[in-house]
Amino acid sequence: MPDELILNKEHLTSFLRKIAREHRLIAPVKNRYGDTLFEEVSCLDDISLDLESRPAMPPTHFLLPQDETLFRYKREDGQYYFSEVLPEVSTVLFGLRSCDLWAIFLLDMVFEQDFKDPFYLNRRSNTILINNPCLEPMKNCFCKSAGSGPFLTEGYDLQFTDLGDRFLVEIGRPKGKALVEKWDYFFVPATNKDKNKQYEAILEAESRFQQVVDLNTASLRFINNEVDETLWEELATRCQGCGACTYVCPTCHCFNIADRPISETEGERIRTKDSCALPGFTRLAGGHNPRQKRSQRIRRRFYHKLAFAKEKYHRSSCVGCGRCVEVCFGHVDMIRVVETICEKAEKRSSAASLQLGEILVNTGLISSEELKTALEKQATTGKPLGTQFIDDGLLTRDEIGRALWHQMNIPSTAETAD
Amino acid sequence: MHRVLTTCCFCACGCNLYLEVEDGKVVGVIPSKQHPIARGNLCVKGWNIFEFVHHKDRLRYPLIRKNGRLEEANWEDALGLIARRLSEIKEKHGPESLGVFSSAKCTNEENYLLMKFTRTVLKTNNIDHCARLCHSPSVIGLGNAFGSSAMTNSIAELAGAEVILVTGSNTTEQHPQIARFIFDALERKAKLIVVDPRRIALSKVANVYLQPRLGTDIIWLNGMMKIIMEEGLHDDSFVSMRTENFQAFTKHLEQFDLEQVESICGIPLEGLRQAARMYASVKRAVIIYSMGITQHVSGTDNVQSIANLAMLTGHVEQEFTGVGPLRGQNNVQGACDMGALPTTLSGYQNVADAGVRKKFERVWKCELPVAPGMTGTDMVHGALDKKIRAMFIMGENPVLSHPDVKTTRNAIERLDFLAVSDIFLTETAELADVVLPAASFAEKDGTFTSTERRVQRVRQAIPPIGSCKADWQIICELSSRMAYLMDYESPAEIMEEIAMLTPIYGGIYHGRLENRWGLFWPCPSRDHPGTPFLHKGSFARGKGHFECVDYRPPAEIPDDEYPFYLTTGRIYQHWHTGSISRRITMLSRDEPDAFVEMNPVDGRRLGVRDGKPVRVISRRGEITVGARLTEAVPEKMVFIPFHFHEAPANILTHDKCDPIARIPEFKVCAVRLEKVQ
Repeated sequence: MPDELILNKEHLTSFLRKIAREHRLIAPVKNRYGDTLFEEVSCLDDISLDLESRPAMPPTHFLLPQDETLFRYKREDGQYYFSEVLPEVSTVLFGLRSCDLWAIFLLDMVFEQDFKDPFYLNRRSNTILINNPCLEPMKNCFCKSAGSGPFLTEGYDLQFTDLGDRFLVEIGRPKGKALVEKWDYFFVPATNKDKNKQYEAILEAESRFQQVVDLNTASLRFINNEVDETLWEELATRCQGCGACTYVCPTCHCFNIADRPISETEGERIRTKDSCALPGFTRLAGGHNPRQKRSQRIRRRFYHKLAFAKEKYHRSSCVGCGRCVEVCFGHVDMIRVVETICEKAEKRSSAASLQLGEILVNTGLISSEELKTALEKQATTGKPLGTQFIDDGLLTRDEIGRALWHQMNIPSTAETAD
Repeated sequence: MHRVLTTCCFCACGCNLYLEVEDGKVVGVIPSKQHPIARGNLCVKGWNIFEFVHHKDRLRYPLIRKNGRLEEANWEDALGLIARRLSEIKEKHGPESLGVFSSAKCTNEENYLLMKFTRTVLKTNNIDHCARLCHSPSVIGLGNAFGSSAMTNSIAELAGAEVILVTGSNTTEQHPQIARFIFDALERKAKLIVVDPRRIALSKVANVYLQPRLGTDIIWLNGMMKIIMEEGLHDDSFVSMRTENFQAFTKHLEQFDLEQVESICGIPLEGLRQAARMYASVKRAVIIYSMGITQHVSGTDNVQSIANLAMLTGHVEQEFTGVGPLRGQNNVQGACDMGALPTTLSGYQNVADAGVRKKFERVWKCELPVAPGMTGTDMVHGALDKKIRAMFIMGENPVLSHPDVKTTRNAIERLDFLAVSDIFLTETAELADVVLPAASFAEKDGTFTSTERRVQRVRQAIPPIGSCKADWQIICELSSRMAYLMDYESPAEIMEEIAMLTPIYGGIYHGRLENRWGLFWPCPSRDHPGTPFLHKGSFARGKGHFECVDYRPPAEIPDDEYPFYLTTGRIYQHWHTGSISRRITMLSRDEPDAFVEMNPVDGRRLGVRDGKPVRVISRRGEITVGARLTEAVPEKMVFIPFHFHEAPANILTHDKCDPIARIPEFKVCAVRLEKVQ
């Protein structure tokens, strides 16, 4: 079976129905109130799959639930008895976005590297990831700036690219392959034409970002101690300490552990989502709190995302999903903070395609003069910049594609997740 | 796992959220992104709302007091006993010896039923609820001035205001979603004025911050109006076309001496001048206030004064303007709307009006009591001298929430009979003869009305735990046992009766609330789209009424013996008497203990370091709490939250009340501080 296939869109429901019969299927669903959430789908008939909007909570919600039982205990005849609760449901996550998938790769590193967390890893090893790259970035999306999208070259089990009437299906990992092989009659091999269409879609999507967020510069500024510390005091006047930025963040993973009695003789040890935005998060047993002030907590959160992760995992742990931007009560969000840190507040939305130009110039594929000419032409033709280069015969699709993949720079650690 | 959309049960912002249900248990929460107030986020309480539902302390079966101890009982016996005792006492001492506390935590349908039960079965108007302790002055003050007591405008309109004046409301902590709209307005270059004795978070982003002494609001309000008049910034045409009693008001205001602003209030006159100009010189200005205004012996006057200010500048009857009393409890607006008040039936229809009574009597098929009922605070006082002999309390905890805990406890203990329905064994339930286990918000259907008059659905996510019953079912069963049949299939059916009898809810049916984010009352008919802002083009009462208001000092002010001002209130992580929030792991982790906020200068004077215990003593009693040194409070003033049963702030407060609204002065009393060795 080839690694690139075509699934006719009218077969999508049939394929998902097969999956749902054997696995717990989780997919983005728009409910009757207009909210799109990742939902457990058991019956495909009465739901409305929504591959257009960003689900309110990230899919990592299913790998790290808000409230999770680690084990139960019972006291009988003066003795304690324990029973571990390990999650073992085979799950297929469909309709993921590249940013959220990247978040899962990051969580893999966190829960695998220093201490192997059996609860997370059990869930994870029972999960199959199907990516649906975004063709239309949303208002506050910046995965491109974060280097986590909108398309992936690896890491997924399957990747479904929307080509209008069909999906180009790419097989990434054995678990994805097994899924396709099991119901291979839904699929036909992809042609070169399909591949080209995907390239076009990639280029198009790349040129449509409204947000360009310079995470790299912000990370470096942090690491080099160049951040103006009065910034945090200013942000602290607007932060209300709700913790939502961490609850909706796909890469936030902090938890609290507590014992919760069920009756006089029984109870459970639980872990619940915790947040570095909350004052009790760092309070020590003696009552001292190294991050007593809200400004210190805000700084810590951005330090972790931009600097700590960069040093430990070689990339910032912001994947550019844009969720924190839309929920904050006081507009304390990644885009603003990065912009302030970089002291470059000017939006470069109209210059989004410029970034593609910069990449091409940096990789030496075109000269600055050629870029300038292409941008001038583009202003009149209205074509995406990449298409302009191809039409002018300066570059081929493959060359642009390679330059972009190179830029995305997926680390090898993601491989270990299998 | 599946999700059920419902309305949050903490504050009155009215966020809609999804409860995540797995194997019959609520295991998580997600805010609705599309909901116009939640907008994809909740406060820290909302994010942790799921945990208390299955807490081991939940009452799971009825309790009856036997030999001085509360013992497990069945529903039959418990309801039978309540019915019997209430009937006996009514028979022997008359209906006026019975009192009922309804609950702003319960649904509209439940509040409606309990007030119906009180009036048809117990035959008394002695029903009240905690609005008495938070916004009764708004009900009366705004009722007098405008003809309706609710927020005049919707929450979302805040974002479009040019100037926002916040006073007596710690909005970021108590109404976080409303603060979010204020921040949205600031993003659009709106100006913010904050007037608050505590240097609250909003004061740090305010364009003008004024710090008056406790209980001196009428001074700065009158001062502000005098400045506006002197500088000719008032809205002449609005005042003459839309209001009455203006001449008497201006004449009265002329006598006001601006000197007092500095001498009594402690506010620099120049600052007040700046605020006055800011507020009066734009078209779209809003006033937001809360309990810092109402919980005073002059609460009603304070509210009336705020209404005067809004009318003087023409900042009512328009979009993006108005006066916003921020209601505290999730359904305190609804509990008032439903007539859980001693003088009004549902929809603020006066009990004293024979025509109104006749309308209800035709549907309820029985005669209604005429004599006005007692307020909640008066019922507690009444229990002391045996005027009140039995009480039914639904979902309230007056032992901790009323002022002067010792007196309240003493009063409740003197009752011949007390029945309480609640979800936990509260400090009040501990004193009861019968305790009924009620279903929580996750276990029942109904509606809540948010602070902006938005009526929204509460949806059942799981069956009641243990043998709990929803309060509406409890009331139906109790009523039927007392020879008045209440037979409703569902809360939707109750709402149909509410709609029929209550003009402002006339078009509100469960079905209509389903595919939109609720309806704003007044909504008089089935095809009416609801009313996001009130008094459009004309006040509900016709013309706005100016009232002449004079300063009255607080009932107790510091002296040599008790040299500190004490003010009480709430904090972000906890809710009222803490029976819910303190049982939530994350919230109690973040704020585990009671504390007293005091200025570092006072800390140094007393030799008290941060975190160390301090004894706080008033004429009523004393508590020991940890010191929290902060410049949020000025010197010679301390703040204590009232959530903590082990150190109840209300041991210290006094029970002197506003003469009209009967709200106690929780916001001011005098205390002495001692370092604990």
